[in-house]
Parts: sequence; C-alpha cells; structure tokens
Amino acid sequence: MTASSVDEVGQRSVQSAGGVGGRPNQHRRRTHRPPGLPWILPALILSVGLIYYGIGYTGYISTLNWDGISPDAQHVGTHNYARIFHDPVFWAAVRHTVVFFVVTFVIQTGLGLAFAVIMHARLKLAAVYKVIIFVPVVLAPAIMAPVFRHMFAPDGELNGVLRAVGLGSLAQPWIGQTSTALPVIMFITIWEWTGVTFVLYYAAMTQIDPAILEAARMDGAGPVRTLMSIIWPEMRGTTVALAILGAIGALKTFDVPYLVTIGGPNYATEFLGTYIYRQTIPLDHVGYGAALSIILLVVALVMAVILQWAGRDRKARD
Amino acid sequence: MFDIRGRTGKVVLQVIGTVLIVPYLFPLVVMVKGAFAGEGVKNFSAVLSVPGFGRFFLNSIIISAAVIALVYAVTMMAAFGFAKLHIRFREVYFWLLLACLTLPEVVLLAPLFATDTRLGLYDTYWAVILPLSALQVPFAVLLTRNFINGLPNELFEAARVDGANSLRGFIHLVIPLTRPIAAAVIVFTLVAAWNDYLMPLVFLQNPQLQTITLVPQFFVGEFSNDQTKILASAVITAIPEVVAYLSLQRLFERGLSAGAIK
Repeated sequence: MTASSVDEVGQRSVQSAGGVGGRPNQHRRRTHRPPGLPWILPALILSVGLIYYGIGYTGYISTLNWDGISPDAQHVGTHNYARIFHDPVFWAAVRHTVVFFVVTFVIQTGLGLAFAVIMHARLKLAAVYKVIIFVPVVLAPAIMAPVFRHMFAPDGELNGVLRAVGLGSLAQPWIGQTSTALPVIMFITIWEWTGVTFVLYYAAMTQIDPAILEAARMDGAGPVRTLMSIIWPEMRGTTVALAILGAIGALKTFDVPYLVTIGGPNYATEFLGTYIYRQTIPLDHVGYGAALSIILLVVALVMAVILQWAGRDRKARD
Repeated sequence: MFDIRGRTGKVVLQVIGTVLIVPYLFPLVVMVKGAFAGEGVKNFSAVLSVPGFGRFFLNSIIISAAVIALVYAVTMMAAFGFAKLHIRFREVYFWLLLACLTLPEVVLLAPLFATDTRLGLYDTYWAVILPLSALQVPFAVLLTRNFINGLPNELFEAARVDGANSLRGFIHLVIPLTRPIAAAVIVFTLVAAWNDYLMPLVFLQNPQLQTITLVPQFFVGEFSNDQTKILASAVITAIPEVVAYLSLQRLFERGLSAGAIK
C-alpha cells in the first residue's frame, strides 16, 4: 500500500466521523497503521537480545564443569542439576526464601495497611510520618548495610536500648547467631519496603466510594468492621500485585544478606541470589552457579504465572 | 473517609502511629548519631578529604544518566510502536519482553562476565549501563504502552491525515503527551540504577569507575573499620537521595510504587 492511499483512507474516515456530528462512527473503515517493527527493535535488541543471550549462555554454561577462566571446560551434561537436588545449602536457601517471603509479605501488608488507615484518619504529624516510612525506599540497601551491621552488633545500638530500658537479658549477638540472623534480614527488608505498601494502600483507599462507607456507618458498622468487610476486600487487586512483587523480590534478594550477614552464620541467611554469587565468583564454580541460575529463573517464571493466575481467578469469581 | 470520631479514638490512633513509626526512625537515628560519634564533625571532613571520594558520585551520576537516557529512548519508541503502530505478531514480541520482568540480575553474572572480558567491556561503564538498562526496559515498556493505549487513536490518525509520518507523530504527540508516565519511568530507573550494587560489584574493579554503592567497602579498607567514619560516609552518600525525594515527594512515591499498578 502506498503512502497516498493511506492518507486518502484516513481523510475519508475523518470526514465521515465529522459527518455524524462527532459521534464515533462504528462502521468506519479502520485506517491502515504504519509499520511499527523498527520502533520496537531497539528495545528488543537491548532487552530481549541481552537477556535471552545471557539466559541461553547460562544454560550452556550450566552443562559444564568450569571455573570461568580455564580454556578446557568439561562437558558434564545434567550433572550440575543432579548435584543441586542433593545440595543441602540449596534447599536451605529455598526454605529461607519461602519463610522470608511469607513473613515479610504478611507483616508488610499489615503495617502498610495500618499506616494507610492511620494517615487517612488525619493524624497529627502525618506528613512527617509518611516521609519517615518512605525514605528507606529511596536509600540504597548497600549504603544502609553498615548502619544495620552497627545497629545489630553485640555492642550496638539495639542492645544498648534494650539494656537501658531494663531488658538487658534480651540483648544478644543478633547477626552472629543462626536463630536471629534471618529475622534481622527480614526486619531490614520490611523497613525498606513498607513505604511502597503504604503508598499503594493509601491510594487504593482514596478510590473507595465514600457512599459505601457512609452506608456501612448507617448500618452501624464500626471502624474495624468497615475495615475488614469493606476496605480490605475492595483492595484485593493491590494486595495481589504486592504479593507478586514480594515473591519476585524474595527470589531476587541479594544485597541485604550479602552485605549484612554474608549469607551466614553457617548459611543461616543464604538465599538463592547469594548462593549463586558465592558459587560463581568467590568459589569459581561457574558451571554449578549457572545451573542454580537456571533453576532460579524457572522458579521465578512459574511463581509469576501462578500468582498472576491466582489473582485473576479470584477476580473472576467475584 | 474513615474518620474516627471522638477524642479517645484519635488519641489511641496517634499513639499507635507513633509506636509503629519508631522502628522506622531508629536506623536513621543510629546512622546519624553514629556518624557524629567520636570525633563529631571531623568524621565528615575526614571522609570528604579522602582523595577520589567525589569520583564515586561522578561515576554514579554518569551511569544513572546513561541508563535513564537509554531506557527513556528505547521505551518511548517501543511503547509507541506497540500501542499505535502495525506489528505482526505484536503480542509475541511483547511477551518475550515481559518474560524478562522476573529475571533476577544474578542470573546474568556468568555470561556477562565471560562476554565482557572477550569484548573488552569488562571494567568499563558499559558493563554496568547495558545490563541495568536491559533489566529496566521491560517494565518501563509495560507501563508506557498502557499509558499510550489510553491516548485516543483519532489524534494519531488526524496527524497522519495532515501528512505527518510516524517520526513526526512520535516527536509532536508521543513525547509531550507521555510526560506524566515518563516522570515515573525516570524516577524508578534512576533509583534502580543509583542504588544497584551487584553489577558495579562484579563488573567495576577500577576504583576510578566505581559507584557510590561501593563506598562502604571502600571505607572499610580506608579506615580499617572505624565505624564512625563509615557511618559518616553512609550519611553523605544518602544525602542526595533524601534531598531528591524530599523535593519531589509525590513523583517519587508515584514512580516507585508504579511497580504494583498495572
């Protein structure tokens, strides 16, 4: 099709649309759209190109026994994958990821919701509180890591406060013992991301029709009842989106455990991200690290599909 | 909405809010207090006088600016193509892009390391700029495509009738009309690039090229674990981010929570 005929069709359709007094004309011929492939090509080359190249290459490396440098890598087939299933550290990392996701998601949702409700009630200093909750979202975890190491150290600020208020018996080496290291990582993550949860719930609450809330009040529903029976169900879409983000975020976790606890002590805070890094860079088990990467990728994709599907399913049933 | 009537209710909520906020404030207090401990303000002058400290900021600015420029350019073009132009198998390309959304960056370490060393990109800005941009583009395109979908087709058809080709339509319609969503894209790309740790950690060995997220380790070496200096460096590196957030609060809140709005 030549350019001039495109223009003609376009002109005619616009004229006919004008002819019916500006109303959209249902039977109007659709104008032919110009080709768009050149427009999406740069994004495809940059993103799809680089990422799929990386994934393909990782898939290839995952069949090698390779240290990343030596020219003679051995082909070992699926040996690396077979090893993963008998690797206790891998399973520990999976367990930590699941626990981490469930705990951070539940607490973050609760806190984000609480802050959203409280701020809607026109609290004093609400603007200041909002800034305090949101600043952590902006700060780099890498920058905050030394602060948290300092805060949770045996002679750190947290134990200092506990001793000062007479709870000295609770003081402990928070990041140095297996029982509290993972909770510390979860605390930091919740601290970091509540701002986003809060902002989204706050925005979702403003979208709720005030008439429904008024009706609930007339029917004698108290604030708690209104929250549980009206506000919470209305915000299901936001909650599902936050669950997807949280699950993918849990699988991507790297900075905080790597910098605050180095995955330890005794692998107590090892995540898939930190384990892949440990195998690939310091240990030079590049082939094994690649096999772990592929497993992580598959889990991430499956998780996204499941959560997306679960969210849609709920909506359809309503 | 949801107004609590009566004084007791208000007081109870105020108390709950204040109690809940304390754990959020505490680490920030620890950071600032620790930075002023010991030698006080001298901690800051000691950190600032370390040669090459400014270099970390410059590197972060260069890398973030390049990532933003690259992501913005390819995202706007692609979103326009997906939303308003004719592409065969359009949704196939789109899903290829969306599948990248879940990719943890650690997966790319080994292949990028091997490829960068072969191409001579290792220990250059590009080794960080390219993967960071590649990881931001899928989400940016998703958001922007949705936004452009909402613009009326008639606008683009009318432009075509007036003889404007796709390029003119892009420059005179897409660029000005997508400003609100572009602001969100720029904010989350900025924060992602500025705060990224793994890519600079692995791909930048030369301290002349390293970013601010590598500052803490640098100072652990420099001050052999003098905590107060390390915390002072954390405060200094955090200041630009806090200032940026405080001056553009709404933009940051919208941009950074865009991740959950589809």
